[in-house]
Amino acid sequence: MPEWDDREIIEGIQNPDKDDKAFGMLLEKYQERLYWHIRKIVIGHDDADDVLQNTMVKVWRSVGNFRAESGLYTWLYRIATNEALTFLRQKKKRTFAPWVDVEQKISESLESDAWFNGDEIQLKLQQAILKLPEKQRIVFNMKYFDEVKYEQMSEILGTSVGALKASYHHAVKKIKAMLGED
Amino acid sequence: MNKDRKKTDLQQKKLKEHPFGVPEGYFESFASRLQERIREEESSHVPVRRMVIPAKFRIAMAAAVVGLALISYSIIRINATGNGANGSFPEMALLEELQVFDDDRYLYDLIDEMDEEMNEEEAFAVQAIEYLAINDAEMVLLFE
Repeated sequence: MPEWDDREIIEGIQNPDKDDKAFGMLLEKYQERLYWHIRKIVIGHDDADDVLQNTMVKVWRSVGNFRAESGLYTWLYRIATNEALTFLRQKKKRTFAPWVDVEQKISESLESDAWFNGDEIQLKLQQAILKLPEKQRIVFNMKYFDEVKYEQMSEILGTSVGALKASYHHAVKKIKAMLGED
Repeated sequence: MNKDRKKTDLQQKKLKEHPFGVPEGYFESFASRLQERIREEESSHVPVRRMVIPAKFRIAMAAAVVGLALISYSIIRINATGNGANGSFPEMALLEELQVFDDDRYLYDLIDEMDEEMNEEEAFAVQAIEYLAINDAEMVLLFE
């Protein structure tokens, strides 16, 4: 599969005719990466599919306003992160009673999730991650699984590198404690 | 030893792998499903015209109403003073305000005239005669 150049994709999708080919190139290059990023936040496949679709619809509609200085990758990740967090907040309001912890519900459903292929320790790790505060969870996922650089993460999340390092440090400490390490 | 092994647990390569799966062909079919959704949304999108009154316009309307009220009030004030009721003849205005009617006004005029021409005793006599005349008194008897 060819790796499309971001500049070529941007030029294509910013065309007034909304070039379907260029948008197809964008999907081809980023859909899978964004899916995994979203999936680690919302956990369930169906939810991740909904959020990815919402993200891409938003990208399609607002691509005319995109300013190239922030980088396509950064822009897409920012939209995907916001959409995933919005989705979780809406789910909290919609599905569960206010006293029920939505993350706890997701954590419990993970054990019976048909699309969870992990073993026991992977399940424990995911359940530990779900107990982290929202921001620490995102930072941990991006650093631990995707090895995103702090500078890039800073652009996506709009947080300083120092704060991100501190968040990751706290997240690792908590997860180690939850997994019974140290 | 056991502690050292545990400490490396989070660094296990297996843990860093995604433990999630997706239905077969999911990524291959995503683009077509998305394009279908976009097409559906675009075709079903009917622009709704709403009566949205911008805040600026509402403020302008309120200002116009207040302005109109002030102008009307000013005009009424100017006309009222211009008619002379209060401006040109202040004493008449005072009488009107005190709800003094024609008969009483006559009395006032009379008093004014008396003030100018007669002393107090004469004035009293004139007033008394006037009063008795009004009440049909027998003037002859009185003067006798």
